[in-house]
Amino acid sequence: MKNNNGKMQVSLLALAVQGALLCMTAAYADDDEVAALKNPTNTLEIGATNVSRASAKFGEYSGMNKTGVYLNGGLSVKGGDTYGDGNGVRRWSVMGSDLGLTSRAAGATVSDQGKWSLGVGYDELRHNLWDTYQTPYVGAMGGNSFTLPAGFPVSTTTAAVPATLPVGTDRAAWLASYNAAAHPVDINTTRKNTSVNAGYMIDERWSVKFDYNHLEQSGAKLAAFGSMLGAGGITGEAISILPNPTNYKTDSINLALNWMGDQAHVSTSYFGSFFKEGYDRVTFQTFAGASANQIMSTAPSNDFHQLNVSGGYTFSPQTKLTGGLSYGRNTQNDPFVADPFSMIAGGLPQASLNGLVNTYHADLKLSNQTAKDLVLSASMKYDKRDDKTASQFYRFNALDGSAAHIANFANTPYSNSKTQLELAGDYRMAKDQHLKLAYNREEIKRWCDQYAIGGLGNYALLPAPYTSAAAGINAYPAGTNCVVAIASHDDKLSAAYKIKVNDNLDMNAAYSYSDRVTISDPNAITARLGLNGNINPALAANTLIQGQNGGDYRGFYPFFDASRKQQMVKAGVNWQPSEKWTIGAGGKYTDDKYPSTYGVTKGNTWSMNLDTTYAYSEQSTVSAYLTQQHRERNLFDLQRAPTLAAAAGTATAVAIPSGATWTDRQVDDDTTFGIGMKRNGLMDSKLELAGDLSYTYGKTAYGTQLNYATTTALVGGVVYTCASPQIFTCGQLPDIQNRVIQIKLTGKYKVSKQSKVMFGYVYQQMKSNDYYYNGLQAGYTPSALMPTNQQAPNYTVNAVSLAYVHDF
Amino acid sequence: MKILKKIIMLCAVIAGMGAAGSLMAAPNDLPDIGATIAKSAGTFSAAASRKRDEVCTRCHDESETKPILSLYQTKHGVRGDSRTPNCQTCHGESEKHLKGDPTVKGRAAPDIVYKKGAYPVSDDRARSGQCLTCHKGTARTNWEGSQHQNNQVACNSCHTIHSPVDKVRDKKTQTEVCFTCHKEQRADSHKISTHPIDAGKVVCSDCHNPHGSVGPKLLKKNTVNETCFQCHAEKRGPFLWEHQPAVEDCTNCHTPHGSNIAPLLKSRPPFMCQACHDGSHASGTPVGQNAAGYQGGLSRLNTAGTAPLYPSANNVGNACMNCHRQVHGSNSPAGGFLQR
Repeated sequence: MKNNNGKMQVSLLALAVQGALLCMTAAYADDDEVAALKNPTNTLEIGATNVSRASAKFGEYSGMNKTGVYLNGGLSVKGGDTYGDGNGVRRWSVMGSDLGLTSRAAGATVSDQGKWSLGVGYDELRHNLWDTYQTPYVGAMGGNSFTLPAGFPVSTTTAAVPATLPVGTDRAAWLASYNAAAHPVDINTTRKNTSVNAGYMIDERWSVKFDYNHLEQSGAKLAAFGSMLGAGGITGEAISILPNPTNYKTDSINLALNWMGDQAHVSTSYFGSFFKEGYDRVTFQTFAGASANQIMSTAPSNDFHQLNVSGGYTFSPQTKLTGGLSYGRNTQNDPFVADPFSMIAGGLPQASLNGLVNTYHADLKLSNQTAKDLVLSASMKYDKRDDKTASQFYRFNALDGSAAHIANFANTPYSNSKTQLELAGDYRMAKDQHLKLAYNREEIKRWCDQYAIGGLGNYALLPAPYTSAAAGINAYPAGTNCVVAIASHDDKLSAAYKIKVNDNLDMNAAYSYSDRVTISDPNAITARLGLNGNINPALAANTLIQGQNGGDYRGFYPFFDASRKQQMVKAGVNWQPSEKWTIGAGGKYTDDKYPSTYGVTKGNTWSMNLDTTYAYSEQSTVSAYLTQQHRERNLFDLQRAPTLAAAAGTATAVAIPSGATWTDRQVDDDTTFGIGMKRNGLMDSKLELAGDLSYTYGKTAYGTQLNYATTTALVGGVVYTCASPQIFTCGQLPDIQNRVIQIKLTGKYKVSKQSKVMFGYVYQQMKSNDYYYNGLQAGYTPSALMPTNQQAPNYTVNAVSLAYVHDF
Repeated sequence: MKILKKIIMLCAVIAGMGAAGSLMAAPNDLPDIGATIAKSAGTFSAAASRKRDEVCTRCHDESETKPILSLYQTKHGVRGDSRTPNCQTCHGESEKHLKGDPTVKGRAAPDIVYKKGAYPVSDDRARSGQCLTCHKGTARTNWEGSQHQNNQVACNSCHTIHSPVDKVRDKKTQTEVCFTCHKEQRADSHKISTHPIDAGKVVCSDCHNPHGSVGPKLLKKNTVNETCFQCHAEKRGPFLWEHQPAVEDCTNCHTPHGSNIAPLLKSRPPFMCQACHDGSHASGTPVGQNAAGYQGGLSRLNTAGTAPLYPSANNVGNACMNCHRQVHGSNSPAGGFLQR
């Protein structure tokens, strides 16, 4: 067929040209798309947030703790010759976030990938703690001197006048002065981190890495300052809660040299951390009994140096060995700052501690998979804290100033070591089934080096048989233990099973049992034996059985080093019923039992989780979760002193049978619930929406029960029991309840290719009925405690934000 | 004239298709010889490396729902770095996927499949093994036998390789990834007392090394206390007067992921103190409703049993720590009772 149609030829030509152009257009459109994927998107952001009301808790970490508008901004700019189709290795970036807030951060990096890298960073965070605190004291928050205003009266009453109502009227005059002088002080701490990091690859095998961080902390946290001054009816122990400064600087350095071979790799590093406290003391004026400036010590400046080496060797693809060693040296030699009101003459054996703690670490792990379906491993870890600080006797007063309570204590530089062994096997029973069995053993030892080697020279203060210089004894005998729980070993067996039923369903279950056995030395001479445990023979009549930890009764063990049997069981399932829907559920239960006669006797925890996500369209999901947690701790103890409350009032000075016991049960229940939603692709893919709702409810309850009835009638011949309203040292405390509801909505609208508008709304409500604050209110405090007016966080805050984002 | 038209038409078609084609389609050739060989022979070039990728990117292009080409914004996309992997370095040579496998209906799976989709996901050891070929040593020294590895967690369970934004490496979004599995920690982070986790200022990787460690609970440092002292160096001491539980393990008293009792406490004084002490004056005394203070409507009665007295400073507020406040240790020579 002859085709010589001119019209057709023109059309064909036109079609060809049009087709070619179309292809080119499409190609260039695709090119844009490809370029967008291969190149970074730089952004500049500026915006503002309006906060409806002030709340330190709402703005705890965000910096938005006051009512009003907060301007904010951020940026992220990246460049280099590697992006797109670049063939280079150079990259750089500059970023900043929350630049208008006290949670701001900024940084910059530049690198030639595979050769070197350099980065600098700055990160700031203000922790807003209290906006309800008030005090009559004069002194800047963050400073270290607190005095009372001129003419502020000295409180002379520490015991209440019976039958005086309402509460506090007996101190009406003093409280009037307090109320007149008290002023609000916002309490916060601020940390500023400046960091520099660098890396250099010497060659394919060797590289070095350097990190430096300078942490600067300012501001203050509230802490109690107890007076040591008696006068008249005041016995000291008057408490001022004041802003304790956090004037800290910490410099940290990490320098690492790494080597990587074909079968082995080694990393060596030096880590140094240097802490400097800006104040060597905090002085404060006492408000009760008499007026004087007393001294509270601060954290001592200290250094820590650590050398580390770790590495691995691959014997074969089936057999690998890894291990590491560390040696650390922690020193501190700040001059002692003694409070002259507290120290007893001659009680200072040296001017500074010259403290030294050496830390050691070693670990080794061998893993083997010679059998295809069986992975075996054996590992060992050893950690030791060896406190080489000298132990000496110091002589000082207790806060109550009582001569009977003068202490002659030796400091106890604690050393401990922990050795851990693990043998484990992971057997793949079938393609998608695993069974892991493991045995762990942990051994702990505790001791004091050079324990109490230096006496005061006043042997009369020491208990027999250490009372005679002639006997050549001016210290505890060699081998005297400073802790009761000198050693323990914990054997643990665990099993875990996992099965992947199919691509959409997997399940797991695990169980473990551990038995910790503690070895005790009942003749140990422990730290801070307590008033009755003082080695001053003048207190011999009150001395408890020597050797009980911190003066504890024989049979009482602190939970953390007591013998314990622990069982744990947990299980979980992840199911994907359809391509769009996933469900996850899990639970865990732990049971602890302590064979201690007194102390924590048992405890348990359990938790349950439920999560689900549904993708109702390609660009939209909705998810929900629920977590329920429960924790319980039971304490059993011996009634210590039936007349304990006599000094403060004799209402509870009831006769308590000898050997009477009491219990305390702590129960924590927490519910956390959340729903989240994401919706993208709205309005022709210009609008993205997200929303979250979370609800948290926490409840803590303490219940104390006495296992006896009083036998002495107080009023009208009534015999009181724990249920009697007159007995307040037992019973159920009010629940501590905290509720937080938060709704967070965010949206992003694409105005143009380079412009976006972001908007957000946050609703947060917190309700707390914590009784902690009851005793801190003016007129309701204990007699020797300065009120602070701190309030439980109860607030409702609405915050609306709007931001413009420019992309380029 | 006709010839001229034909020539113009032909040139237009060729030019148009050529221009488009050069942008749209990669050459239909097989992968170059191994990059390792090329590198060792000193013949590495960025262009050659990119060309090797084209074996895959000619199909897996910008039209992918989950972007593939954004890999070039990441460190794995820096073609000028001779160490940079190609698609097949991680996904395997995948000959059957490229050339077809007559024994398989449709296109065969790549050698290593990372995400659930058209093909079954590869075993976690196979997936992680690809990454560990390069990323061995340093922070990953203890990956073998670590908790995550034992629980079949692979690198890509947490990391997003092709995206320039790897959520788990961004402090603002890291917890979204970790909380996928660690639900209790997610719940804890909503409690009244927390580290600034939600603010993205203290995140999981500040304390934990998820790639394995010799510390407990995958902590970055050898011990709990060494980890805490990174930020809380003021509590490191050594102090003249040490407090045994604080020396041994901060978590004896604190629960770092969140608590209803500030600051991050497991219990409240005096009950917290009574879990270890019953011998020192008030510490062995049962404490009940009196600790709630007056505003709870409760107090101790006076001798006559007719009127309330002030609550005891031993029980209220900071309770024991009203006087014994230096619970982390004291360096005052008068601080043996931790009061100074």
